[in-house]
Amino acid sequence: MSTNLKKDQIKKISLSAMGFVVLVYVYFSFFLGPLNHSRDTMVKAIQDKQAKLDSSKDEMSKAATLEHQAKAATIRFAALKALNAEGAPIAWFPPRIKVFFANEQIDKAVARLENSTTFKEPELASWMRYNWMIDIPQADYSAVGKAIADLENAEPLLSITKITIHSQAEQGEFQTVDLVATNFIQKK
Amino acid sequence: MALHLNLLHEEILEQRQRQRDPLKIGIMVLIALGGLLFLYYMFNAYRTLEIKTRLSAIERDWAKVEPQVTAAQKRSAELTEIIKTTRVLDEYIEKRFFWAPFLQKVAHCVAPNTQLNNIDGSVLDENKGINVSIEGVAAGREPRAAAEDLRQMLVEQLGKVYRDVKVEFKGLEDLDTIVNVGGSNMAMAHYVLIVTFNPSTPTAAGTPAPARPSKR
Repeated sequence: MSTNLKKDQIKKISLSAMGFVVLVYVYFSFFLGPLNHSRDTMVKAIQDKQAKLDSSKDEMSKAATLEHQAKAATIRFAALKALNAEGAPIAWFPPRIKVFFANEQIDKAVARLENSTTFKEPELASWMRYNWMIDIPQADYSAVGKAIADLENAEPLLSITKITIHSQAEQGEFQTVDLVATNFIQKK
Repeated sequence: MALHLNLLHEEILEQRQRQRDPLKIGIMVLIALGGLLFLYYMFNAYRTLEIKTRLSAIERDWAKVEPQVTAAQKRSAELTEIIKTTRVLDEYIEKRFFWAPFLQKVAHCVAPNTQLNNIDGSVLDENKGINVSIEGVAAGREPRAAAEDLRQMLVEQLGKVYRDVKVEFKGLEDLDTIVNVGGSNMAMAHYVLIVTFNPSTPTAAGTPAPARPSKR
């Protein structure tokens, strides 16, 4: 038998080799590759879901613990929220101040909104700072002092930032009082 | 030696050539290899199906738990926000400056021969301190001494409650007016006091009202 391959045989061997390459390419590209990819994706999804399932118990127990711990804060927060009435502050704050001072035997107290600003602190993103001008045209010093004490105690979210007390030239026993007060009000 | 004659030499050669046909051998090899690859593919496909079943089971479990977990996470975030907000609000409430005790202290310092005409106070930015301007008149044989008494009284009384108390005269001038106090004529002086201080530990528990009215 001759060891030299004939031209015809070389062609056939080449054809077989090409067939082999095509078979391997098709097999890995269109069969095994996508299958492995799909399997890897599923394995990853399983790991992901398993991790979520494992952490879910922690999350729920953490939420339950937090709920217990935050009980005082929740009650306090609800109480602070309840200090402010529903609706636009310009609608309810001036009448409330008028009634408050009237109950303190100080008439004609007028509250005007100066401006309102947002907070820089992210914790107070849902709150607004309202600056009010409160004019009391005529009041007795001790009555004003008592009213301010009551106001500071009754409205923890309100602070007086500026106070001006003038004695009246005509009636020396009475004063004119101007207050600038800042109030924290939750956005509605 | 026996002589062998092969009369079918050409036919046998052709048969051998057919058997050694590279294309035929190649196709057989490819078929064999294809079979092996198919078996390997089936093995992998079986494993993949198994994994898919596991994934489906885990997804079912997760679907049962997910709403509860999402609700728990949402509630946790909400509670954390409430805690943080309440903390910030409480800090603000605690840091507030209460004017009523200050007014009470001022009222306690005013002697019968002094009078306050104007009080103008403000909280400095970011609660750095309090600045108050007090304007009034004092009467006496030495009206400037009466004003100085008021200043010292303010330093003493406010120093009990607040830190870094400073009470300084911005202005102090004699007036030509003579006033009758307790039946005797006395000279008068007009003064302007500047009071600055840092509110020390605030009396957050409550602010008493001024106990007695001032001379005003």
